[in-house]
Amino acid sequence: MIDWIMKLSISKKLAISAFVLGLLALFIGNPSNRNIIDVNTKEMALSTIKKQDRIDALILADWLIKENLDFTLVDLRTEKEFNEYTIPASVNIPIENILSSDLMRNQKILLFGNDDVTSAQAWFILKSSKYKSVLILKGGMEAWKNEILYPKLDTSATLEQKAAFEKTKQVSLHFGGTPQMISGGTATSISVQTTPTAPAPKLSATPSKAGGAKKKKEGC
Amino acid sequence: MMPYFKFDYFGVDFGLVIAFIIGIGFGFALERGGFGNARILAAQFYFYNMRVLKVMFTAIVTAMLGLFYFSWLGWLDLSLVYVGNTYILPQVLGGFILGMGFVIGGYCPGTSVVSASTGRIDGMVYLLGIFFGIFVFGEMFPLLEGFYLSTDMGKVTLPEFFGLSYGMIVFLVVVMALAAFAAAEWGEKVLAKKNGRGIE
Repeated sequence: MIDWIMKLSISKKLAISAFVLGLLALFIGNPSNRNIIDVNTKEMALSTIKKQDRIDALILADWLIKENLDFTLVDLRTEKEFNEYTIPASVNIPIENILSSDLMRNQKILLFGNDDVTSAQAWFILKSSKYKSVLILKGGMEAWKNEILYPKLDTSATLEQKAAFEKTKQVSLHFGGTPQMISGGTATSISVQTTPTAPAPKLSATPSKAGGAKKKKEGC
Repeated sequence: MMPYFKFDYFGVDFGLVIAFIIGIGFGFALERGGFGNARILAAQFYFYNMRVLKVMFTAIVTAMLGLFYFSWLGWLDLSLVYVGNTYILPQVLGGFILGMGFVIGGYCPGTSVVSASTGRIDGMVYLLGIFFGIFVFGEMFPLLEGFYLSTDMGKVTLPEFFGLSYGMIVFLVVVMALAAFAAAEWGEKVLAKKNGRGIE
């Protein structure tokens, strides 16, 4: 047998090894499932979402106003919700597609869903797939709506609170929101709009298509 | 874990250096395979020298087995290897045009660069033709864009398309390649005699 193999020409030897490897592949089937990740459970349990990984809506608003965009803002909600309203500069990647997206492992990624639960799930998926810098928006879309689009101030607030609210008001108006004053349960809009009770914000967000902005062209 | 670039082992700059080195190696392999010679390349289409088929199938089988086993050993994340979209009609037409150019000119884009860099004048002329073609295509792109992006099938791979396992596809391609090698060896002898030409 060995003699017979030794006598073959190089190309025949290569052909036989290719055939053997091909035959083995038949029994291996699928080499790896892209949806199954090996997770070091201990490491993951220790690396819970840190305080500095949770970004306040006001801080995000500040970054957006200053165009301090060294991160990719990812909207994890459904496409329908994304098209209705989203935070400016965000891309839509529904959570089930998060691993097949164009996100790079060296990117800073800021996640938000409707609340903290979705973004925490996505945070776990990305972290266990070796994404380095993953942040989440504290409170998600709910927090963005409450703190940025419709911030409320009680009429009985102290002077200090009122002064702080002035800044919030400006931020809110920048994003087309409607700051409100509350007195005993009835909200009064103090926006610059002519109809004082209109709660609908002017949504200035222009949703960008998922992955459109930073997509890399590859190929031969 | 591979691919190294996607896992951020190095940045774009160093990636370009690596691409340059791999490119040199690719050109060297093509030249050593005899692909810098238009006669050998064109002979493929008249079936009296099957070198192109042999080299191409060898490259495909080697790369395929490498990717499959690297991925099986956990060295490579196959899902991060770039797969382009399939636009079936424009790509069939594009392949047809490229094939016509291949038969007429005797080169494909990569081999023409190899040929030009070894000093062959036909290779240099071919290269000029490529740049002219790219220029014309670029200028006409607004007119062609609709067709260019039509019949999009998304990212299709053979295992998904046929609903077979990766291993089955690997096995079938290997068998196909071995059969093609055997047929090519046999065909060369028969056709060389018939055409009265030796195997170059």
